[in-house]
Amino acid sequence: MCSLLQQVAQGASKHNAMMFLTFLYLAACLVLTTLATDYFERLDLTPLPLGSLLASFEFRSNETLSAYNSQNFRYFPRSLGQVLQHADTKELHLRFSTGRWDTETWGARPWDGTKEGGTGVELWAWINAENEKEAMRKWITLNQGLSGLFCASLNFIDETRTTKPVLSFQPAGTHTQNGSLHLLHGVLPGEVVCTENLTPFLKLLPCKGKAGVASLLDGHKIFDASWQSMSVDVRPRCLTGQECLVEIAQTIDMVLNIARAKRPRGDPIPRPVQPHELICDETKSYHNHETCYPVDALETPEWSLNDVFGRPVAGACPLCDEEGPEAKSLCLHVPHSQGVWIGAGGFEVRSGPGEREKRCWQLVPGERFDFDMPKTSVRTHAQLDLTDELITAERTMTGHGAAKGGMRTVFTNPSSKDPVDIVVFESLPWFLRPFMHTLKAQITDTGFPSEWEVIKDVYYRPAVDRKRGTQIEMVLSIPPSSTVMVTYDFEKAILRYTEYPPDANRGFIVAPAVVRILNQVDATGNAKAIYIRTTSLLLSLPTPDFSMPYNVIILTSTVMALAFGSIFNILIRRFVAFDEVPENKLSKIVKTSRFRIALLKERIMGKAGKKE
Amino acid sequence: MGLLRSSLSNLRTSPRLLAVPPYISLLCMLGGIIWILLLPLDEYSRRTYISENALLPGQVHTYFHGTEQNIFRAYYHEVADVLEVQTKTAEDGSQQYMKATPAHRNERIRSIFHNSGIKTASQSYKYNVGGQELHGENVYGIVHAPRGDGTESIVIVAPIENFEKQLNTNGVTLLLTLARYFSRWSLWSKDIILLVTPDTSAGPQAWIDAYLSQHNPETVSSLTLKSGAIQGVIVIDYPFRHLFHELHISYDGINGQLPNLDLINTAISISSSQCGIPTLLQSQHRYAKPEHQHHYLNRLKVLGHGMRNQAIGHSTGAHSVFMPYHIDAITLTAIGQGREDEMAFGRVVESLTRSINNLLEKFHQSFFFYLLLQNTRFVSIGTYLPSAMAVGAGFTVMAIYLWLKSGYEQREQGKEQITKPTERDDGSQDKIERALADPNITNEQLLKQPSAGGVDRVKTKVWKSVDRHIALPAALLAILYLTSLVPMAILVTAEHETLLTRTGALCTVIIMVPVGLSFILADNTYLVDTNILFGPSTAAISANGVPKDLPEVGLITTDSSPPLDPSTRLTQFHAILKALSLLVLGLQITVLATLNFSLSMFLGVLCSPLAFTGYYPSSPLRARASLISIVLFNPFVITNFAIMGAKLAGYYDDSFGMKEVLRQWLEAVSFGWSVWGAWGVPVGVFCVWLPAWIVAAIGVMSSFIADEDGTIKNKVEKVKEDMKGGVQKVQKAAVRDSSQVRKRKK
Amino acid sequence: MVLQQKSIFLFVVAAALRLAVFYLFPHITSVLSEQAEIATPVSSYKRLLEGLFLYERGVSPYDGGVYHQAPLLLVVFEFLPPAAVFTLLDMLIAYNIATIAERLALPSPRFRKLDGGQLAIAYLFNPFTILSCLGHSTTAFTNAAITQAIASASTGDAFGTMFAAALGSYFSLYPALLLPPLILLWAQTKKVQLQLQSIVAPAAVFVGTLVLLLSVSALLVGNLWDVLISCYGAQITVTDLTPNIGLWWYFFIEIFDAFRNFFIGVFWIHLIGYVGALTIRLPEQPLFVISSLIGLITVFKPYPGISDVSLYLGLLPLYKHIMPLTRYTFVAASVLLYATLLGPAFYHIWIYAGSGNANFFYAITLVWSLGLSMLVGDSLFAVLRDEWEMLRPEMRGKDVRQI
Repeated sequence: MCSLLQQVAQGASKHNAMMFLTFLYLAACLVLTTLATDYFERLDLTPLPLGSLLASFEFRSNETLSAYNSQNFRYFPRSLGQVLQHADTKELHLRFSTGRWDTETWGARPWDGTKEGGTGVELWAWINAENEKEAMRKWITLNQGLSGLFCASLNFIDETRTTKPVLSFQPAGTHTQNGSLHLLHGVLPGEVVCTENLTPFLKLLPCKGKAGVASLLDGHKIFDASWQSMSVDVRPRCLTGQECLVEIAQTIDMVLNIARAKRPRGDPIPRPVQPHELICDETKSYHNHETCYPVDALETPEWSLNDVFGRPVAGACPLCDEEGPEAKSLCLHVPHSQGVWIGAGGFEVRSGPGEREKRCWQLVPGERFDFDMPKTSVRTHAQLDLTDELITAERTMTGHGAAKGGMRTVFTNPSSKDPVDIVVFESLPWFLRPFMHTLKAQITDTGFPSEWEVIKDVYYRPAVDRKRGTQIEMVLSIPPSSTVMVTYDFEKAILRYTEYPPDANRGFIVAPAVVRILNQVDATGNAKAIYIRTTSLLLSLPTPDFSMPYNVIILTSTVMALAFGSIFNILIRRFVAFDEVPENKLSKIVKTSRFRIALLKERIMGKAGKKE
Repeated sequence: MGLLRSSLSNLRTSPRLLAVPPYISLLCMLGGIIWILLLPLDEYSRRTYISENALLPGQVHTYFHGTEQNIFRAYYHEVADVLEVQTKTAEDGSQQYMKATPAHRNERIRSIFHNSGIKTASQSYKYNVGGQELHGENVYGIVHAPRGDGTESIVIVAPIENFEKQLNTNGVTLLLTLARYFSRWSLWSKDIILLVTPDTSAGPQAWIDAYLSQHNPETVSSLTLKSGAIQGVIVIDYPFRHLFHELHISYDGINGQLPNLDLINTAISISSSQCGIPTLLQSQHRYAKPEHQHHYLNRLKVLGHGMRNQAIGHSTGAHSVFMPYHIDAITLTAIGQGREDEMAFGRVVESLTRSINNLLEKFHQSFFFYLLLQNTRFVSIGTYLPSAMAVGAGFTVMAIYLWLKSGYEQREQGKEQITKPTERDDGSQDKIERALADPNITNEQLLKQPSAGGVDRVKTKVWKSVDRHIALPAALLAILYLTSLVPMAILVTAEHETLLTRTGALCTVIIMVPVGLSFILADNTYLVDTNILFGPSTAAISANGVPKDLPEVGLITTDSSPPLDPSTRLTQFHAILKALSLLVLGLQITVLATLNFSLSMFLGVLCSPLAFTGYYPSSPLRARASLISIVLFNPFVITNFAIMGAKLAGYYDDSFGMKEVLRQWLEAVSFGWSVWGAWGVPVGVFCVWLPAWIVAAIGVMSSFIADEDGTIKNKVEKVKEDMKGGVQKVQKAAVRDSSQVRKRKK
Repeated sequence: MVLQQKSIFLFVVAAALRLAVFYLFPHITSVLSEQAEIATPVSSYKRLLEGLFLYERGVSPYDGGVYHQAPLLLVVFEFLPPAAVFTLLDMLIAYNIATIAERLALPSPRFRKLDGGQLAIAYLFNPFTILSCLGHSTTAFTNAAITQAIASASTGDAFGTMFAAALGSYFSLYPALLLPPLILLWAQTKKVQLQLQSIVAPAAVFVGTLVLLLSVSALLVGNLWDVLISCYGAQITVTDLTPNIGLWWYFFIEIFDAFRNFFIGVFWIHLIGYVGALTIRLPEQPLFVISSLIGLITVFKPYPGISDVSLYLGLLPLYKHIMPLTRYTFVAASVLLYATLLGPAFYHIWIYAGSGNANFFYAITLVWSLGLSMLVGDSLFAVLRDEWEMLRPEMRGKDVRQI
């Protein structure tokens, strides 16, 4: 039966035909009704201030550990599974991100930042290996495999870009063989995430973005977003009394600017609007037909799925179950007071009292679904009751010049009463040499008078030239309602000219710092992790002149040859007085010619003399 | 080889060669100046071109038109309301004039930013210059590149008050409109920072300092909102309401640093090619008709303006302060009465911003050292640097010449001096002086000398090398250079009230320094041999330039050479002092030429006469000529001339007296020093020019004071009155001398 | 007593000057200690502080790319104030120079007894010395060891010589190259015939000291291998290419990777080559050989700083009597002067102003090296000619040629 299923699954993956999927779905329900939900998908839409919209997709599928180990994949993507098994990877976290999350406008990050990576590509995994060396070998293998799978240059994550964080990351899964697990972390801050990464990402889904909310995912829209982050998490889960599962969770979060997203794909240029389309503030005294104080930027225009994603939902993915709380795969987080015109193809369910007001729809396979959100006036994020970030971090470089500089990270704790403990994880390239003895933390402004020890602990692994990068983990405690500035100096190494990238004068991108907020608990009281990432930085290095290796070699060698030549010349030759020097040809010639000339003169003068 | 060496050794000793160096150095200096004058010719300058391919100037369509203008008009009302003086009619019908407070002003600007959904912040600063406090508040907003990672940024600045202290209402409005317009594009790869500063001098400085955390947190508050590395800066300056005709591009930075030529070229080509707006440089509109820009004279004027700005090294607009941090910046100023409206200006800025946005690497391709002659022609460093180097070389040649001369003299075996033949031989002039100064040479010998000579006879003469006692001159020079820092410190830190008085005091003191010193030195007993102290170093140099092939060299060792008679010691002392100071001067000029070409050029030219003044106790003509030149070419006299020139050129109206102008300049210097860190002028004047001048002056004064025997007294009065009498008197004296000379000739 | 009253007074002045700057203008110190001309990767005080910081917190400073200096320095600066240490070092070097000068007696008729005080003062007030002292360049330790070795050699103290030499080599490797002339010098002063057995004892002392030092270091920071790799390996295979006034950095930035190791070998052999040549050619004047070698090493070692130059300029006046025989000293001196001033200017243009590129500074390092080697070669010529004239006194002052 299972083997049949496999063939079917493969068939489904090859041809895009709904019937295969439905058959598969029926078969699955037929055989494995005993298992917990094996596939789950959900889209949450949350309007944000300034006409933005947060859309976060989530897809989860399970596989029993035994089936996973026996390569008996049903929902778990085979390609990924095989890579993981080959590299002996027990838990994997992969992130693709572009843009910045704007905390002060958009509030707290989705998923508490756990599903988010720094700009570019970030990857960390728990690998099962006897020793570090083997772990590193497997890690490289894993990167090679993933880079092929996701069309990303993950294979550039080598020893120099790999770190082994101690405090910043905890395994999300339940692991039996903790002893031999190695956590490795790599990041490519300069990687540009784009559609070629999205396509393989969708291929991992059972419904391949053909059905379900995944059908909304269109490269043009996603990568025109103000911020987007794709994540792939694989972890083993052991619920008590059940067989252990291997869970793969994929998420895509993006913040769309509705006005921009509504522009026709053919012509994305924001041309000046026609006079009659201007939205002006008529109350202004000077307002007339050619003077207009615009007020359009702050309000949210009307929108529908079709507007912002370019297409409506193409029905439900038949693999997710039909009833139960997890069935409602599309949710819109607006107050009930807000009117929404919904089309056919979905049953609406409103959230009950107590929880945050939202309305969700259960989709029907094969039926398109869309809804219309009317224009809404100016709304700050207070009105949208968005939660605030517990702490804000801003990292910048100080100083100028290509020889040295300083790193300056500013943490602000808005809360008025309780301090926040954080772990700051920085992985720096080896050619940026931090000086730890200059590490200082000072409280720049505070509403909290008493003395406070900011730096609790520092884990520091210095870089070795061309072998490994620097790794800093600082445990900080930020007092309430105060701003803390952490600074240290660094020196910029100058590289061999072959080690520079083609655009050497742009500089190198330094990976964002990962901030983990410690000892936080969620609503149900058990501990949860909250992550924040700073923006990445541009590090400009001193550059040699790339055009003249030959000249340099020649000139330097000349100087050395001159010194060598002159000194050994002096050493080996012996002295003689000037007059003892044996005559050489040149002097002979000169002498004879002189003599000749003298003769000639003599003669002429003589003649002249005779004449008189 | 051997031949060559022997001929060289002959050359070394030949009197002709000793006569040559002064001419060489004169040639160098003149050559340097002429070189500069040649630059504007087509043969020496080049057409500008864009070497960074990523810029693609003018390749993009600009969409800043249409209803954006309606918004501009609305914003203009908003901005003018808070920037310009409003006339309100009170209830009783009386007109009352009111101006919004800075706080209110910034609040309005921030609200407009906010209205377009842009994050804003403000930064307050205060500087204390010369006892006067100067404070203000910058407002800025950041348009986040929607898909960018915030590693790079472009800055657009609009000062509320532009460089000429005119109100830049249109510019600020344009900035705000552009901000709203830019925030709707999603193609930005770099953040765009929009900065509104109260002025062009202190505001931008405070902002960029804080942006790079180079600021002093007590006086300048830190920035709460930051972005990535700044790739380029554009300053918008549109200080009037009516339509404009051309765009003026100013680019000079602090301390004469220049932005990458690509940025200027891009701006020019966008403005003139894409938008059809003519461009001007170095306020050409003041002196050149557009159609005459390519004429030699106009190019020369542009060159002159450029070099002047570079040499002074002060701000020429809000862009200047970014240059020291290696951030390329220019100011675009609307000029003239024409038919281009603010939208056209906006399109230029849009296109320019798009070009910078295209950059993959920071500006590095094109030139950083150049002199612009016209908006399409420039001179690159390779072409213009030789001039300054030649001037510097001129000093070095003189230094070496004096050094050699101080090193040895002609004698016959035995103590009695015999001087070289002197036809056509200025170089050995001071030999005669020495002979004159030497009591044990009788008049007959003196009379004999002119007849004595002939090159062949020189061969029979022997060169006696004397060891140089450099300790005292070296020490004196070191002290002079160190103390020259004191007047500089006094001036740049002075309270503005006391500036003039302090300057006056300084002048008198400094003028008196050489006189006093020359009195002290005139008394030979002060020339004690300080060899003991600086023994090794003296020895190390004492024999340089001694022709190694002379017979006695073997016998001479630093201590065994016969002691010199006082007057010779005095001559030698002055020669060495001058040589060292000229050496240092040449060195400074050369080094400066690499840091701030124009400054070193001007200094070189101003110091050039000092190279030829000297210690001529017994030739009144030369002594007086030297006196004239040191009186003419001392910093204070030149400053006065400069002020007169400036007033004649019409930079200042007649209401300004000399004093006023001087005060202004001094205040500018101290402001530049304390706010911008502009070191060019003070260092150039006080650490390069002044010491060299003082040394020269010492030499000249001494030649009036010191003499063979106790005739110091009567000379003193003469010198003093010469000093008092200043220029005219000295000139008279010179005339008198020349007549005397004629008499002598007869 | 080597020094007279005046010299002692000037010693005090020099010390006071240094201490005054250290304590009154700490800013100057911090600025200088980051100058490329003063602080090289193997002598930078900032890196030393970093190493110290790690060492005091139990992290091995050698398990990283920043600290390449000897472990003993860590102990020194763990307990002693830097200002005092560097001032004392300068005093020690100056005193050693004075001792050497007093001891120096050469057969040459030009030679005249030297006043040690003068030379010491000349060293102390040499701007290079002052700057590198204010810049906390740890090369001072090596210099002190070298001068100490020479001083004890010229007093015929074999043990002291070898101990100091070993110390120097322990600090920065290259003083080992000075062993042959040092032994010659010692033999000369002791008037011993150089046989194998007469050398065995000193050699043993040298090796013994070295072993002792290394084992102590091993005790200090645990892994000896790391120390060797990070201290001496880094100096031999030039891993850190931070700009300095030497010839290596830009060459090994631009060299093709295939030839890197080859050229590293060539450069070292070239440097070592001078030792044999000079020692064999001038066995009578080991002191001069040493000072010239120091000069050459200053030019051709991987990470030279101006404090190496200051040592050379401190030793050169020992032979001031040959100055009349030199030919290009003025040229060399002015070349050095120009390079000294243009170097920082071009570094600024490259690194901070960004308006010039690396070639500006590189060109100046070339000029600087040329000037120095010109100086060395010239003095060498003069000394050889002096020797020759001792053989043929009638050749005094005649024009000579070398064939």
